[in-house]
Amino acid sequence: MRNRLPTRCIDINSIYCPCILAETNHCVYCSHLKGEPVCNCDWAGVCILNEKGWQATSAKQKWNWDETRTRQDLEVPITALELIAENTYAMRVLVPKELARSLDCPGSFVFFRRTEDPDFFKFPVGIMSVNSETIEVVIETIGPKSSRMLENGTNQLIVRGPYYNGIFGQPWVEKMANGNVLLLTGGMGQPPAVPIVKKLVENGNQVTAIVAPGKIGKIFAADIFKNLGIKVIPVISMRREGMAKFIELITNEEVCPDLVVSAGPDDQHHGIINVMQAENKNIPMAATNNATMCCGEGVCGSCDKEARGGKKVRTCKVQTDFISFI
Amino acid sequence: MIKVIVVGGGWAGCSAAIMAAKAGAQVVMLERTDLLLGTGLVGGIFRNNGRFTAAEEAIAMGSGDLFVAMDANTRHKGIDFPGHSHASLYDVTTIETVVKNILQNYGVDVRLKTRVTDVTKLGKKMQAVILDSGETLQGDVFVDTTGSAGPMGNCLKYGNGCAMCIMRCPAFGPRISVAAKADIKEYMGQKMDGSSGAMSGSCKLVKDSLALEIREPLERNGVIIVKLPEHLIRANGLGKKACTQYALPEYAANLVLLDTGHAKLMTSYFPLADLRSIPGFENARYADPYAGGNGNSVRYLSISPCANNLKVDGIDNLFCGGEKAGVLVGHTEAVVTGALAGHNAVRYCLDMQYLEYPKALAVGDFIAFVHEQMTAKDGLKVRYTFSGSFYFERMKQMGLYSTNRHEIQQRVEQVGLSDILNQCLV
Repeated sequence: MRNRLPTRCIDINSIYCPCILAETNHCVYCSHLKGEPVCNCDWAGVCILNEKGWQATSAKQKWNWDETRTRQDLEVPITALELIAENTYAMRVLVPKELARSLDCPGSFVFFRRTEDPDFFKFPVGIMSVNSETIEVVIETIGPKSSRMLENGTNQLIVRGPYYNGIFGQPWVEKMANGNVLLLTGGMGQPPAVPIVKKLVENGNQVTAIVAPGKIGKIFAADIFKNLGIKVIPVISMRREGMAKFIELITNEEVCPDLVVSAGPDDQHHGIINVMQAENKNIPMAATNNATMCCGEGVCGSCDKEARGGKKVRTCKVQTDFISFI
Repeated sequence: MIKVIVVGGGWAGCSAAIMAAKAGAQVVMLERTDLLLGTGLVGGIFRNNGRFTAAEEAIAMGSGDLFVAMDANTRHKGIDFPGHSHASLYDVTTIETVVKNILQNYGVDVRLKTRVTDVTKLGKKMQAVILDSGETLQGDVFVDTTGSAGPMGNCLKYGNGCAMCIMRCPAFGPRISVAAKADIKEYMGQKMDGSSGAMSGSCKLVKDSLALEIREPLERNGVIIVKLPEHLIRANGLGKKACTQYALPEYAANLVLLDTGHAKLMTSYFPLADLRSIPGFENARYADPYAGGNGNSVRYLSISPCANNLKVDGIDNLFCGGEKAGVLVGHTEAVVTGALAGHNAVRYCLDMQYLEYPKALAVGDFIAFVHEQMTAKDGLKVRYTFSGSFYFERMKQMGLYSTNRHEIQQRVEQVGLSDILNQCLV
């Protein structure tokens, strides 16, 4: 079995492709749309250059960034708000059905900002669950952008989405079927873990979750996980207790997982990789994308990470294994 | 055992694989589609003009297996059409399985639907190719016969878009250049107007879609020339073609059709409505490319810099054949260059001196001349072939052109290369 993923653009061949990066000759995939003279890509799907040509022909005009093929800002109501830990709120937001449907997959996220705030106040929020026209999320209001979010009892916000690159190794989660999966999650990693578990269970996988309270100091997703029918192992600390449990599970051939999912901070991802390397295990891994994101469109560069070979990639767009950043 | 990995299963790749196997190597051949021969599946013409000499030289040197296979599968032998004499036409509808059997008889491990996506190298040495399945395949030496047609982005940028040709990129994934993946800067061929790339020079019509008065003489004689109505004569369309040997006025004023199993139409593309306005072509349909009314595949955008022994410059253990080896056209050209690349790959592993075809032979003069011309001004705007254009003229001037089998055998004997490619080196 192949344990590494090729580098891909998460938006490739979606309705958002070709995007503004193709227009500026910075497409993360097509060599022509990077300004190179000949084909040098590895994409066996619909040729991006060809698609771009068709769109230009059908529009009969220069591609326009403000028009339909990009994500739109929408003003939407907050329908429920609950304080679940210090500075941490679970909230439900009513969005158009189409947007809700498009967010119903692992790794999806949106941007929020206060209605009256300028555009650069928007911050990324992972989707915890989707129900018809409602999305449920958890936000931690500690940064300069998010702390303003709920001031003065606001009940409206601006949402922009859908975005998809919330998990590195997302294809593993999508494709793993009838396997044995181990999830390690804690703190603000819990909300994005919910759609991951949902997908894994749908595909007939046996999932075990090691859940820690993390920095926010609360395990709030354990019941949701249990309702999805998976085994939950709550721990006080991921570092001290969780990792020991992890080693125990991966070194036992009978329960050794086919896939490891790390939904938590980057330190946790690194810790898991270190353990696997120390134990000489090469298990596929999916990990939440914790990069600082500002635009979500591959333009601003705030989510840049250096991948193997010194190449910078914009992690809001580029899908790969987390280990390629080490 | 020496392990040779040949990437690309067209005529050049098949030839390289056979010669490497004959020389004593274990050979794996990787082909991204489900058929061997690549553009050879829609070709068919050989032994025309100087290609006769080249084929006989190859046979005398012991690398004639594929020419023998083509000869045994001809529909027509010794036909003449404008600018071309004594051509043979192999049957494109049956040749593929014949070639596959030959490869299997030589013990070549042919892996279809196996696309190379990248390579690994250490310093100036290639170590492995990476397949789209993620598998890493290590080898001692590699032969790049990935050709230069497509993929879609190139056909779009330098041609009229994907015309759904036999390369079938959308179905099997894009062609990659092994040399380019190994960081070798490649040449790009040009059209006469200086723009990059060139379009394939012929397309195929479904023979059954043509009227009996076209089909019957075509099948009888192997060729039919149909005068074009005045309004369809395109004087300027010739410079963009890959095959300069067909860039003659006769081809602008006439439709030249050859019987290769399909009806081979000697023009890059022809708008269907125009074609159907010609008597006898009312029901015409394209067999290749499917959108032959729109365009054809674009070639020559990835030519490797290489020596006359076909070792790629800058990599110690990579050889190339076919269109990778120069701005050359045709199956015969692919087979003779592929053979040399495959043979020299084995010599690399044995630390032997590389074989170079001598200039006293047409094949040797050809490779040397093409390489020399590619660095000359406007040299990349010309396509080279034994069958016409500049190089055939040169062949005649240099006294290299011959249709006398005995004479050709003697020439090969004189340079001491009789049966050289038939020898096991290991």
